[in-house]
Order: sequence, then structure tokens, then C-alpha cells
Amino acid sequence: MNSSDERIIDAHVAVGREHHLSLDENELLKRLDEGGIDLAIARPMGAELAVLNRRGNDRVLSLGPRVRGLVSANPWFGDEASDELKRCRDRGAVALYLHPTRQGFMPTDPIAQPLVVFATEQNWPVVIHTGTYIQSDVLALAELARRFPQTTFVADTAGFTDMWFELPGVLEEVPNVMLCASLVWGRAILNTVNAGRADRILFGSGEPRDRIGAALARIDRLELSPEHRRMVLWDNARRVFKLQ
Amino acid sequence: MIIDFHAHLDDRWFDQPLMSREQFIAAMDRCGVDAACVFTLMGFFEDSRRHNDLLAGRAAALPERLIPFITVDPKLGEASIDELRRCIALGVFRGIKLHPWLQAFAPSMLKKTIVRIAEIAAEKDLPILFHDGTPPYATTFQIGAVARWVPAAKIVLGHAGLADYTLAAAQLARDIPNLYACVCGPRPADIAHIVATAGAEKVLFGSDLGLSDWMILADRLDAVRYAGISDEQTRMVLGGNARRLLRLL
Repeated sequence: MNSSDERIIDAHVAVGREHHLSLDENELLKRLDEGGIDLAIARPMGAELAVLNRRGNDRVLSLGPRVRGLVSANPWFGDEASDELKRCRDRGAVALYLHPTRQGFMPTDPIAQPLVVFATEQNWPVVIHTGTYIQSDVLALAELARRFPQTTFVADTAGFTDMWFELPGVLEEVPNVMLCASLVWGRAILNTVNAGRADRILFGSGEPRDRIGAALARIDRLELSPEHRRMVLWDNARRVFKLQ
Repeated sequence: MIIDFHAHLDDRWFDQPLMSREQFIAAMDRCGVDAACVFTLMGFFEDSRRHNDLLAGRAAALPERLIPFITVDPKLGEASIDELRRCIALGVFRGIKLHPWLQAFAPSMLKKTIVRIAEIAAEKDLPILFHDGTPPYATTFQIGAVARWVPAAKIVLGHAGLADYTLAAAQLARDIPNLYACVCGPRPADIAHIVATAGAEKVLFGSDLGLSDWMILADRLDAVRYAGISDEQTRMVLGGNARRLLRLL
């Protein structure tokens, strides 16, 4: 737990294995301790994100009260995907995660719609990977957000890298889109704050690809006001994921 | 010694003013960076001859710290070769920067000219840094292909795969002897993987300073420092390899 008065929610960590990336439960908790993170939102990765959804979801849902489950189901599984989300809801999931590149669809494709409808019915936010060209287009997420104006959509990794340039316009035009600042550079976060949108930013470390220490150093360098810093590190995530 | 192998020293990005040379140097000082390879930005869109001269002028005041790279527009064919030779004759440039995405060409579209540029670079022992990681003109595979066309040329992946091609960058830098990876963009775990796969001697540090401010330089130094590589590997990545490629004593 964070030893200072400041409280921090890490809105993006991934657990499991994917290519060169690996993070298990014990190592995650150790890194949260070292980084002074109070709560983390964890998603599956690798095969457990693309195809073995139940296994990945069970992994993130069994990490204990300090880590909340950002669960996923590949839309190509159809009714089975919807059933998997219902099972996860009953086990305490807090949001839906979609990775259009890994899972092989466009956010606006009809096959994804039932999952987004389900998330909307649960009052869950929908977190979508952005930045990889074609499927993970920031503007495709924006189109989806326009179709579901009552649902909060989080642009995970904030379009990192060069699709970042689309995000300021999306934040201006689509009020139910937020960004998760994992991976993206500091100036992008600061420009968003200076545009009056500190309430649209979630702090995320991007562990294990990035490191909590590096991600927090990015935030420290911004020299945000105490109010904005608290919004980015705690308040916004608490509100979006409805954490008590 | 820390050398930033990927930075931009220009006065604007379209209508957006960029940092001055003094601010650029202050950013380097703040982050403990000794020298930076500097490229144009607007020269990718406008008259490259004019921008090569502007860049040479900006770098001239601090030749020990600002190492300018030439850019040319390969779409111009023989005229780009003439401009390359003109710049080399000036004796101030230490490398070449090409940006297929922003300059709007795929290397294969202009293979004859790209091969000529790479052959001249090899003859003069100048590294060529290409933007990579962005389809459809600058995928990491497209830049790897250039390295295979001219094995004598030192070709640098300017972003080591950027966000989505880091595995490919590691493999290609491992498999192609004359291909290097500048880790301008990859995060700590990516950098650890690239170093482990390609060998630390194939990896260079870069930040994109100039396109953004000092914070991006600090952040990209953090990415190397958090990678968990050895002190010797860190020394090679942050400066030793750049000194070798640039033939700095």
C-alpha cells in the first residue's frame, strides 16, 4: 500500500504471458507494493486474451481485493462470449476489455456489439486497446462511443504511439471517451490537462511492458496541481470503475 | 557518455513552434545527455536542400553536441543523389535520416534510388536512420529489406519497431548484420527483449527530443534504465554503440 497520504489506482496492468512479457500474481503484488499502488485494474494477455478467455478471466478475478478484474471475451465466440461475461459479472468483474488487434475485429463490427450492449447493461466501462493501425484505430473507438453515449469508453494506451494525434479531437467531440495514460508520453497527458480535461485521464502503468516507477515518474514530471494529480491518480478511476 | 541517436532540431512542426537550440541544449543538460544526432522535421515535407542548410546552421555552434544528419527526397531520383553528395561535401553531417511515412514513399517503390543512397552512405561510412514501425510505407520489415539490399550500409531502425513491431525489430536486428535498433519508443520490457535477442551491440538510445520537450528525453532514458539490463549493456546502448557508428573518438 502507498505509505504517503496519496492514494493511487493503476488502471492498466496485464497478467499472464504474451511473447516476451510475463507477470504473475506474486510479482504483480510485489511491484504494486514497491510502487505504492493501492489498487490495480488487471486484464488478461496473450492466449488468455485472444482465445482462452475463461482461463485469463479467472486469473484476473482471483488476484484478491487489491486487484480488480478487467475481463475480456473474444467476440468471435458469439453467445459463448456473452455467457463468459455473465459468469465474470457474478465473480465481481468491474469492466470489459477488448483488444481488437489481438482478438481480430474492428470495434464497429456487428460481432462486437452484443458484448458492448452487455457492458452497458451492467453499467461497466469498456476499455479498448488503441494505437495499433487498422483494428485499434482511435477513431473506430470514437464511433463506437457515439453509438453508446451512456457508456464510458477508455482508449487504452492513448493511441500509443502515433495514433495519439487523433485523441485530442476525440476527447473534444465525444464526451464519453477517456484515455488511459499507460505508455504515452508526458506532454500528451499535460496537454490534455491543460485543455481542461483532467477528469478524462486515468493513470496506468502498462505493467509488465512498462514499469510502475517509470510511469509514476512521467506523472511527477508534469508537476500537476494537487487537485489534478488526485483526479488522474485516484478519483477518475474510482469513478469510472465504480470502486468503493 | 550519453548520445541521443534520434532527435529533431527544427523551428516548427507545421504551424506549431518547436524549442529553440538553447532550449534543446538545456533539455540535454537537464537529462545528462552529452550529444544528440539531430534531424529536420519540416525538411521531410518541404525543400530538403534548404532544410539541410538550416539544420547545418543550427548545429554549427555546438559541433561537439549537435550531430546533424542529412535528409533528401528520394522521390526526386538523381536530384536527391546530387543533394546527398552536396551535403556530404560540406563535411558537417555524420549520417542520413529518411522518413518513408512522412516523405511518402515505400523503399521498394524507389528501390534504385534507395540503393544508390545506401551505397553512397556505405562508401562514406555514414549510418542511415529510417523511421520504422508505421505502415504502409515504413514497417520495420520494409526497413529491414533495405538493409538486405545493401549489406555494406549501416541501417538503423529509428524506432526499433515503435509500439507494434518490437518483436520483429529484435529478430531483424539479430538476423541482419548491418541492421541496428534505436529504442526510441519501445518500453522497458521491449528494450530488455531487443537487447537479449539482437545483442546489446546492435541497440542505440533515442528520444525524439525536439518533437516533444525535455520530458520525453527523461522518459526514454527511464525506459532504458528500467529495462533491467546490465551496466555494461546500458553503457553500450546509451552511448558506446553510437560512438562506434558515428566514428567518434
